[in-house]
Amino acid sequence: MSNLEIGLWSFPVLLILIFIRIPIGLAMMAVGAGGTYIVFGSTMMTMGQMKHLVYGTFSNYSLSIVPLFLLMGQFATLSGMSKGLFKAAESWLGHLKGGVAMSAIGACAGFGAICGSSLATAATMGQVALPELRRYGYSGPLATGTLAAGGTLGILIPPSVILVIYAILTEQNIAKLFVAAFIPGILAAIGYMLVIAIYVRVVPGSGDALEPQPYSERFKALIAVWPVILIFLAVVGGIYSGIFTPTEAAAVGAAGTGLVALISGGLNWQKVVNSILTTANSTGMIFLIVLGAGMFNSFLALTQLPQTSAQWVLEQGFSPWFVLFCVLLLYLIFGCVMDSLSMVLLTVPIFFPIMTSLDFGMGTEEFALWFGIIVLIVVEVGLITPPVGMNLFVINTMARDIPISQTFRGTAPFVLADIVRVAILAMFPSITLALVWLIY
Amino acid sequence: MYQMLNTGTGWLARFAAILGGIVLIGLIIMTCLSITGRALIPLGLGPVPGDFELVEAGVAFSIFAFMPWCQYTRGHARVDLFQAAYGKFANKVIDLIADVMMFVAAYVIAWRLYLGMMDKYNYHETTFILQFEIWMAYAAGFFGAAVFVIVSAFCVLRSLRAIFIKPSELTA
Repeated sequence: MSNLEIGLWSFPVLLILIFIRIPIGLAMMAVGAGGTYIVFGSTMMTMGQMKHLVYGTFSNYSLSIVPLFLLMGQFATLSGMSKGLFKAAESWLGHLKGGVAMSAIGACAGFGAICGSSLATAATMGQVALPELRRYGYSGPLATGTLAAGGTLGILIPPSVILVIYAILTEQNIAKLFVAAFIPGILAAIGYMLVIAIYVRVVPGSGDALEPQPYSERFKALIAVWPVILIFLAVVGGIYSGIFTPTEAAAVGAAGTGLVALISGGLNWQKVVNSILTTANSTGMIFLIVLGAGMFNSFLALTQLPQTSAQWVLEQGFSPWFVLFCVLLLYLIFGCVMDSLSMVLLTVPIFFPIMTSLDFGMGTEEFALWFGIIVLIVVEVGLITPPVGMNLFVINTMARDIPISQTFRGTAPFVLADIVRVAILAMFPSITLALVWLIY
Repeated sequence: MYQMLNTGTGWLARFAAILGGIVLIGLIIMTCLSITGRALIPLGLGPVPGDFELVEAGVAFSIFAFMPWCQYTRGHARVDLFQAAYGKFANKVIDLIADVMMFVAAYVIAWRLYLGMMDKYNYHETTFILQFEIWMAYAAGFFGAAVFVIVSAFCVLRSLRAIFIKPSELTA
């Protein structure tokens, strides 16, 4: 068997391991180590690599953002800022038809600006917004669908853990990726609100309007969320302007949300411990995958599979747009069953060289930014598609009386909005790149 | 006996994770002080020397210390799509296989980390600014790695027990 064939065979083996419920990171490690053994005929390579790979990965300065952002998200959940955000959004949007659901989306977007995780955003905003939506008589599918979809804004709107990983894999500037994600993130929020506006008109009785609030109240509610605005400006502004590194920004953000939580009385020793344990859980999960993907990808590099497949695609003379379409479709399908981070870590090292070898009529860096944002969106769709969309389950555990099938139904229009948005962003790269051009 | 082991291992994993978290919070405070110092250079202040190196070594310690807790709580990402289709027994066997694999991985990680540490120790490699010896950072990480080995060994036992003991006896 040639090395290339070994590389190709590793995929079915890996998928089988993953589908029999071996933890994804562990499966990648096993296949990476096993494959390297087959190529080399000895374990020397892997064993030598392991001496410094693990410490090297865990002490990687760019990757150290990940636990910091996760802890920041935990503190943000305890800070009570989610309530203020929802109130502020409601005072501005509540009087529209379906306005309470739109407010939930607005609040999710605001929370996404200080939290880099979709699950934390869905869970936190769900706690605040679900009871309100039910109180105003919003239907089960709309209420749960809104919050599951709104949760994905946590990762679409910077800061975003997945973008950090993408930046490291493709050697791009994290700050520029965050800038590029900004407009698509806002578009996502607007798109979701449009979905709600249409939904409440097509399905009568699914959601109503509240009494409009006077402008004095609206501005008061808006001013009340100043800590969120301040933290977002400090974190994102600091990164954009280059005052501090993304890792430092994450530390500043964690300190900011932690301080707000402390002052608002949401933080005692027990809660700090719980925040730490949740952070430990997510961090352990992410870094096992990062480690596994590192081993698997270095094995693939040995077999020359990424370069060869890039060459092969180029020789076929496919239209670049057709290849992009296939890649995105593959992400959508895999997203239904795999978590987003594993997917990015597993596929970007293979797809990225293929995609960069094709001509999309833009510079390498511009392409990398644009492709990163589109990939981010399609992998996030996986969070709200059955059968294993994590956001759906998070919301489901909070609204036990609404069957999950109703949540699936309520989320479908939002998935459609995601797909339309991906198509628009793919067709008009300048939407994503405009802000990057403006700032840099 | 098993209950004691379970409580003890759970406590150990929790202890390591909290320790990692405290270090992480310490790094956050240190980084904020360092940024403030850097901003106030005109006033005669300055950044914390070697702040990047401290973050690297400290975060590595935290992540190593987080690994056992994630394993103990079965927190690793897996694809549960066909879980219901496999049936109870097969799922228990799969859990056992996964836990054995994790134990092997944890063991290899700790073992190689130890050898890596000896490399750094023998060459007296130091960091650029603070000049502290890198083997010390490896040694700090080794704490979490060692706990990870212990906890994943216990998880193998836990999965074995789940296969051979009837559910009614499990709660006892």
